[in-house]
Amino acid sequence: LFNTLAAVRVKLNTMLLYSRSSRAMNISTSGILRLNRSATYARSINASVSRKSFCLAADSKILEKSSVQTPKHTIQVLDENGKDVTPRPVYQPDPAAVQSKHSKIFASDTSGGTMSDFYSTTYQTTTNASFAGAFTRSLFGSGSVSIGSQSIMESMSEEIEDPSSKRDNSISLSDVQVKREEVKELIQEEMLDDMVDLYLVESDTLCLLDMPAISVSVDSMEAESVKERNSRYTELCKNRTGNDKYMGRSMQTFNGASKTKEVQSEAITMADAATIANNWDMYDSFCSAGQGEVDLSTDTDKASIAEMIHQNHGPTRTMERTMSVISSSTIVSSSSSRMEMEPFVVPSESKPDPELILQSEEFQQHLFVMERIILENIYQPKLAAYRQLPTLEGMVLLEESSLDEEGPPTPALERLWSFSCELTTGRNVSSMAWNKRNPDLLAVGYGQFAFKDQKPGLVCCWSLKNPSWPERIFTCQSGVTALDFSASSASMLAVGMHDGTIATYNVQSREKTPVIDSSDCVHKHTSPVWQVRWINHERALSGEDKGEALISVSADGRISKWFLRKDLMKLKRTRNDRFKRQVGEKERKSEALISRQAPGLCFDFHPTDSNIYLAGTEEGHIHKCSCSYNEQFLETYQAHKGPLYRITWSPFCSDVFLSCSSDWTIQLWRQDLFTPVLGFMSTQRAVYDVMWSPKWATVFGAVNEGRMEIWDLGASILDPTIVNPASPGVKLTSLLFATETDCVLVGDSDGQVSVYQLKNFTAGEGTQVGTLEDIIGSTLASQL
Amino acid sequence: MAEVEETLKRIQSQKGVQGIIIVNAEGIPIKTTLDNSSTVQYAGLIHQSVMKARSTVRDIDPQNDLTFLRIRSKKNEIMIAPDKDYFLIVIQNPSD
Repeated sequence: LFNTLAAVRVKLNTMLLYSRSSRAMNISTSGILRLNRSATYARSINASVSRKSFCLAADSKILEKSSVQTPKHTIQVLDENGKDVTPRPVYQPDPAAVQSKHSKIFASDTSGGTMSDFYSTTYQTTTNASFAGAFTRSLFGSGSVSIGSQSIMESMSEEIEDPSSKRDNSISLSDVQVKREEVKELIQEEMLDDMVDLYLVESDTLCLLDMPAISVSVDSMEAESVKERNSRYTELCKNRTGNDKYMGRSMQTFNGASKTKEVQSEAITMADAATIANNWDMYDSFCSAGQGEVDLSTDTDKASIAEMIHQNHGPTRTMERTMSVISSSTIVSSSSSRMEMEPFVVPSESKPDPELILQSEEFQQHLFVMERIILENIYQPKLAAYRQLPTLEGMVLLEESSLDEEGPPTPALERLWSFSCELTTGRNVSSMAWNKRNPDLLAVGYGQFAFKDQKPGLVCCWSLKNPSWPERIFTCQSGVTALDFSASSASMLAVGMHDGTIATYNVQSREKTPVIDSSDCVHKHTSPVWQVRWINHERALSGEDKGEALISVSADGRISKWFLRKDLMKLKRTRNDRFKRQVGEKERKSEALISRQAPGLCFDFHPTDSNIYLAGTEEGHIHKCSCSYNEQFLETYQAHKGPLYRITWSPFCSDVFLSCSSDWTIQLWRQDLFTPVLGFMSTQRAVYDVMWSPKWATVFGAVNEGRMEIWDLGASILDPTIVNPASPGVKLTSLLFATETDCVLVGDSDGQVSVYQLKNFTAGEGTQVGTLEDIIGSTLASQL
Repeated sequence: MAEVEETLKRIQSQKGVQGIIIVNAEGIPIKTTLDNSSTVQYAGLIHQSVMKARSTVRDIDPQNDLTFLRIRSKKNEIMIAPDKDYFLIVIQNPSD
């Protein structure tokens, strides 16, 4: 600017050949400065300088104000300097300030010039208005520059060049100045009044182009002056021609080298995003957004949430932040603000591996459920019959079961299905037990009875819902001979084995090993454990005995009570009972002698009095014992001639119990009689198992080697009501009634557990307790 | 893993099971016992069906979710166990 200023000055000197070119220029510049007051941008330094210059022109006092003032907005300048409310100081900065913006204007260039310049010029200023006028005119006339509006310039120049007199010029100048100032002052005073509370500050207005109106309304206050000016101007124009006072001069200006500048911006990538806002979609995103960046286990979760967030919130910086927080190492945190597409791409790559899927927990669970469902499809009629539900038509071709409905329907057994799989084929079913809590869960123990063909035993837990594969499979080192589920902790299964070991398994877990094993116990059984039972001692003598205990009987002649300690099965010695073999004693003698021990084969606790139990031995004796007496039996019942395989109290009549033995007979006893009330014999086969029906007091089932029999004492005491022969070559070994339905389970020596339904069978209404007692009574009466 | 294989074998050997398809979340079959064209067809169509079913269930109650889907037709039954990572599809004709 300085250079241009100097250049202009030089030019002026050369061209105009006036010594006061600088001054003139200054004044001209000031005029121009004044012209451009409409621009709002102001440099205070320049303003101050220009102010000074004007002050000199009009008022020398202002020269003293040489203090530099900080750059301020025009309006603010006003406010700050209350004293400078005088029109002139207010007025002055604007043109200078404005001029500084316009690079192409001399004036602006000059205004941008250093303060020193102005100082020098101002000091020198004598304001020879006429000169100024001439010069300005020449300057203006040379038609440089786009200041605000050409017409104003012209008008200004006209005013300046008022040929009437210097004074006129000056007056005009000053007049104009004054007027302008006045006008401006008016405006600014008004604004001042309005802006006492200057709190609403708008952002700086950058005025890039200002085209002040070149016409004034007829009604405005300026109208008169403007009209006067205009008339003067027209007069001037008329006077101009042929007047010596006016000389035309040309000037050449530097044309600034133009330069084109190109700017390129990155293309704005547009992407369409659409979503269907489902009810659940909104719920999901609400939940996940609420949880924020917590616990996103799988990548697909992140992907879905990323998509949701993107779709719902739109591309913003916040989304990127949440994205990066949500993302684990798999998602690249997008640093570039533009590429919001990145987070989508990355999550889709990290989809779960197929291998992972196949191994995952949920997949196994799904497979498990699927298998059951498939089997349900297959077995639906059978299962429905079991549960006494109507069967669905059309799923499976129903065998025409309702073929021969002639006469009164005979009670029969219908085979529904059998639990077996390739694991169990060839094994002998030795015991079965229902789970106490889940009536659909059946535990079956496989083990050989005979000593000679021992092989590792197996315990399978079958569920009714899957007859083709057991839910749990436990292999034991020796054949399983006894099973029982605990009642208090329904997942505990006690297993007695052929080598005398007792183990407890937790069927809930998938472990294949027993929870507790008795093999480390000092007093463990040394012979096969033929029966185990969980007994709940309610009336316990000491605190320790309360609750459930495991009782076992084994061939070494002991009935033992086991307590389960952590990792150890401890045998409580004080409850040992030993079977005594009576040698050479008369049968009526109830007192037992201490003698050699007899192997115990079975026992049963009284249903109501848990202290009393019956035990059967290999010799055929039944001993009634009590838990409180360890040394002696209470009673002995002798009738059987062979080993007793099963003793069972009647669930309905508390005095009555059944026993079966290998002497082909089943005996019905009453507690107080030492001879059996009734004896049942049907075939010449050892009866392996007998069980009371849980539904009728007069019904029981028995299994001997060749067939399975259901006896109904109310119907006949001589013959079984239903007989079901076994498949050839297969021996039936165990029997179990289903508790809630009319079904019977029969285990055989081939590893199959067959489920039979009792069809057309009923012993009558109610539990038939009375009938049983009647029968017993009548039998006894007839015996007498 | 072995257990999974065993279970799959057992399911395959059950009466009437025509095929098992395991499809990942995008509808691409991972494992199948059917031929390729059938697999692809089943996978594509069933994927859409399950999505629609799931959407229906969740629209009614967003806290609910689809656990199992069975489509019984005249000739067979298609059972689908959906999960967020995969679908397990079994086609069975129990009257075979």
